[in-house]
Amino acid sequence: MLLPMSRNPEEPVYNRIEEVRAALGISRQDLADKAGVHYQTIGYLEREEYSPSLVLALRLAKSLNQEVSELFSLTPFKKGK
Amino acid sequence: MSKKNKIYWFEGVTEKGVKSLLTEENSKYRWLRPQRNRRILVALMAFGLIAVAMGSYWPTLKTNMNLSNGAEIVIYSVTAIFVIFAVLVGYLFLRISVRGIGDAPNELLDERQIKVRDTSFRYAYYAMGYVVLGLLLLMLIGPDLKMFQPKGNDGSYLVIATLFAFSSMPSMVLAWRERDI
Repeated sequence: MLLPMSRNPEEPVYNRIEEVRAALGISRQDLADKAGVHYQTIGYLEREEYSPSLVLALRLAKSLNQEVSELFSLTPFKKGK
Repeated sequence: MSKKNKIYWFEGVTEKGVKSLLTEENSKYRWLRPQRNRRILVALMAFGLIAVAMGSYWPTLKTNMNLSNGAEIVIYSVTAIFVIFAVLVGYLFLRISVRGIGDAPNELLDERQIKVRDTSFRYAYYAMGYVVLGLLLLMLIGPDLKMFQPKGNDGSYLVIATLFAFSSMPSMVLAWRERDI
């Protein structure tokens, strides 16, 4: 029996987590430990398949020494920013 | 500082048990992680649960198959033990494949895992509703179907299958839906 697999299309939230993390030389596991989440959640965030709560967004921004508005956006970031 | 292994009685899990599943401590079970393998496991579990449930109609099936007493006892006993054992093992593998997220308490999960777990419970609730509805319909129209005559049949296997289904359904939904666990 197959259940319908429709997913609720949430408004996408774009982020620069992977870019900033790579620039700082931090692994997904390290960032996950700092932010208090599972490392796979970091992967979901970086692929923009999951939108964080405000608390998690603030924790991630603090871990990456960024402002939330510099890390997350409702519109795609320009490349190279 | 004592490192007690906290027991979550309501969920029926321990802190160490859940944490070992969430991390890569059980690396020998990595073959269970890909979605394709998890879906195969879910299909096998569903088949196993149906097989256990069919045990309740064994007297009717046996009559229709025209088996001798000796053959009937052997087939019935071996099949029942094998199928129930397979379902139990399948249930344990299912929990491992989804890192125990389906049974874990909130304080051991991050926000995304909590959301994933709660969504799987919602779909499991719908699925079990259909299962229970199907069972009730079977009880209502069963006597009219020659294959499912209540006389001589044993309802305990139906109960066992339903209990297994209730406990494993959230993990089955999780294993089927989630791409990355």
